[in-house]
Amino acid sequence: MKKVLSLLLMVMLVTAVFAGGQQGDKGAAEGGDVTVTMFQLKVEIKDALDAYAAKYSEMTPGVTVEVETLGGGADFGGAMKAKAQAGDMPDIFVIEGMGGYNVWKDYIANLDDQPWLKDTDLAFMVDGQAFGFPVAIEGYGLAYNADILKKAGIDPASLTTRSAYEKAFQTLEAKKAELGIDAPVAMAASVAGGMWWVAGQHNLAAYWGGGLGFNDTSVIEAALQGKMDEPRFREYAKYVQLLFKYADQNILLNGSYDDQVGSFAQGKTAFLHQGNWVDPNMKQLGVTFKMGYAPHAFTEKPQTGLYLFAPSWYCVNSQSPRAEQAKAFLNAMATTADGQAYIVNEAGMIPAFKSVELKPTGQLSQALMAANAKGGNYGVFFGMLPDGAGQNVFGPIYDLFAQNQDDLEQFIADMKAAIAGLPNM
Amino acid sequence: MNNKRLVNILFLFPTVFAFLMIIVVPFFFGLYYSMTDWNGVSPNINFVGFQHYAKLFSMPDFVHSFVITIGFTAINVVLVNIVSFALSLIVTSNLKLRNFYRAGFFVPYLIGGIVLGYIWQFLFNNIFVSMGKSMSITILEASFLSRPESVIWAMSVVNTWQYSGYLMLIYVASIQSIPASLMEAAQVDGARYVTRVFHILIPMMANAFTISLFLTLTTSFKQFDMNFTLTNGGPATRFMGSPVKASQLLAMNIFDTATANKMAEAQAKAVILFVALVVVALIQVAVNKRKEVEM
Repeated sequence: MKKVLSLLLMVMLVTAVFAGGQQGDKGAAEGGDVTVTMFQLKVEIKDALDAYAAKYSEMTPGVTVEVETLGGGADFGGAMKAKAQAGDMPDIFVIEGMGGYNVWKDYIANLDDQPWLKDTDLAFMVDGQAFGFPVAIEGYGLAYNADILKKAGIDPASLTTRSAYEKAFQTLEAKKAELGIDAPVAMAASVAGGMWWVAGQHNLAAYWGGGLGFNDTSVIEAALQGKMDEPRFREYAKYVQLLFKYADQNILLNGSYDDQVGSFAQGKTAFLHQGNWVDPNMKQLGVTFKMGYAPHAFTEKPQTGLYLFAPSWYCVNSQSPRAEQAKAFLNAMATTADGQAYIVNEAGMIPAFKSVELKPTGQLSQALMAANAKGGNYGVFFGMLPDGAGQNVFGPIYDLFAQNQDDLEQFIADMKAAIAGLPNM
Repeated sequence: MNNKRLVNILFLFPTVFAFLMIIVVPFFFGLYYSMTDWNGVSPNINFVGFQHYAKLFSMPDFVHSFVITIGFTAINVVLVNIVSFALSLIVTSNLKLRNFYRAGFFVPYLIGGIVLGYIWQFLFNNIFVSMGKSMSITILEASFLSRPESVIWAMSVVNTWQYSGYLMLIYVASIQSIPASLMEAAQVDGARYVTRVFHILIPMMANAFTISLFLTLTTSFKQFDMNFTLTNGGPATRFMGSPVKASQLLAMNIFDTATANKMAEAQAKAVILFVALVVVALIQVAVNKRKEVEM
């Protein structure tokens, strides 16, 4: 028995030596060169960001920025938790809204003193204090194929009310064979296709913010208290019904992102319910027709704005000894020519900073940028909802409405019950 | 003697250590966290007792997942075992190329559940639908995966396709271990093939049934990967007056809860899954054991 004990002790000692050794290494590194780690989830900008981080490291003596990317539907939140548990928390990480903020608030540094803050409207704010660096502007309306609309004799500028849409959809439906389209709209709402976010997040954002001031959160604040504005919701529900009725039913009920975007790119549908993030897909699919954005006008009172938001924010780990270097990296991204060139030219994103003058190349991104310059757009507030509300609560309701499109009352009742349940989530 | 003991312990140590650290310790941690309000990160952990457990069975989505998981398991236990037993009879008969068939039936098991889910999703959503359209077969025109009433069956078909080859091997091994003399004697006595199967083969291989039923029961109860890629829980349906996901099995319900940062609630659901699984499996094994024949 003694032998066993001594053996166990030996094993433990060896393990301790190894563990100690590792920590020693880290300490040594901190003395000389500082390595700032960044953990992000946008796969599409991985190469551009890696290149920019390398360039920044080269130009900034003593600081190396390392970027780790996890995305493509992988569980970013889970991976972050694993890192936090392992004591390997990155210096810069991503949150996607209030849900993420609430989980990570012990780690999120205040960014009130950062120079880039006054150059943007989209920083992540809580109680008037800034906590997140906006990664980009994204946005959406109802994207249209200008060539098809022209052939059908529809002026996209006239699409500012629900009845204008209804008329346009009817025209398209009647000329389906002539225009060579399957259906007027490419809309997806299925749980099965993983498309709950198009309906339960982006489309529903029209109810939360459509037709209101850019920072007017009154509707969603009321919803978080469990209250629904029923007349407003009824108007909105009729618009959803309209979109569903004239959508390609296979895509609506079962389609994936690729099905939905592909159908629009091939000219099989005239409208697409997606944001400017489809620009790279359009390029990949060799799209040559002209595109633009029409507003999600769900009322009879004309609406002309698009929906603009920052999809995610970079946060600085407040408990890291390298927080200052991390802040400096983000600041350089927003304020230096190299950083801005990375955001716009390399990553193809719309910068959230007003002073940037570069323009992205995608047609839809340009349409959004023009809308941003023109003003009168609507805010997107689904990030204020509790985690899982879109996926687990609203998603199935939209899916069910897509299956039973005539049952408007049931849809309204379901949503009313779901909103009433929000305070308890 | 002492030396031998040391060797035993040394050889056992790695597996016992791994078992303790990866299964036993996290299990008790899990039990503890299921009674807290932990979100997975926050250092403030408050003990809330059985609060999560108390509300679970009034949540329509969880109850629905529980019910369909039981249904899915029941379908699979029957379907997979009938198919795999039939296959094992076929590949132990005097068939030409029977080794080829054995390998062929086993191949689906080697494809991972994730890949397999995507393959069958493509079959259900694209191939079957376009076949239905071009040949005007109404039942095929809408995907089976988009109909709440058929989606569980579609999943069971895929599950059967995946597992029956594996269980077939267990049955084949068991059939081959039965002395040929028994079957021959019966044949000489004039028993027909069906009679021989039901009165000799099946009683003699009862232990294979115990194992196979246990395996199908537990794997179907815990099914996640194929569920995740094939249906993603969709389409929606109505249950207890609320919209829920028609094919969201228990494991996926737990996953969806956890990814919504409700770690403690997800952990409570996982404990329920564990208890249910243990109860069902123990009953099944106890019942089957009584039917086994000792040689």
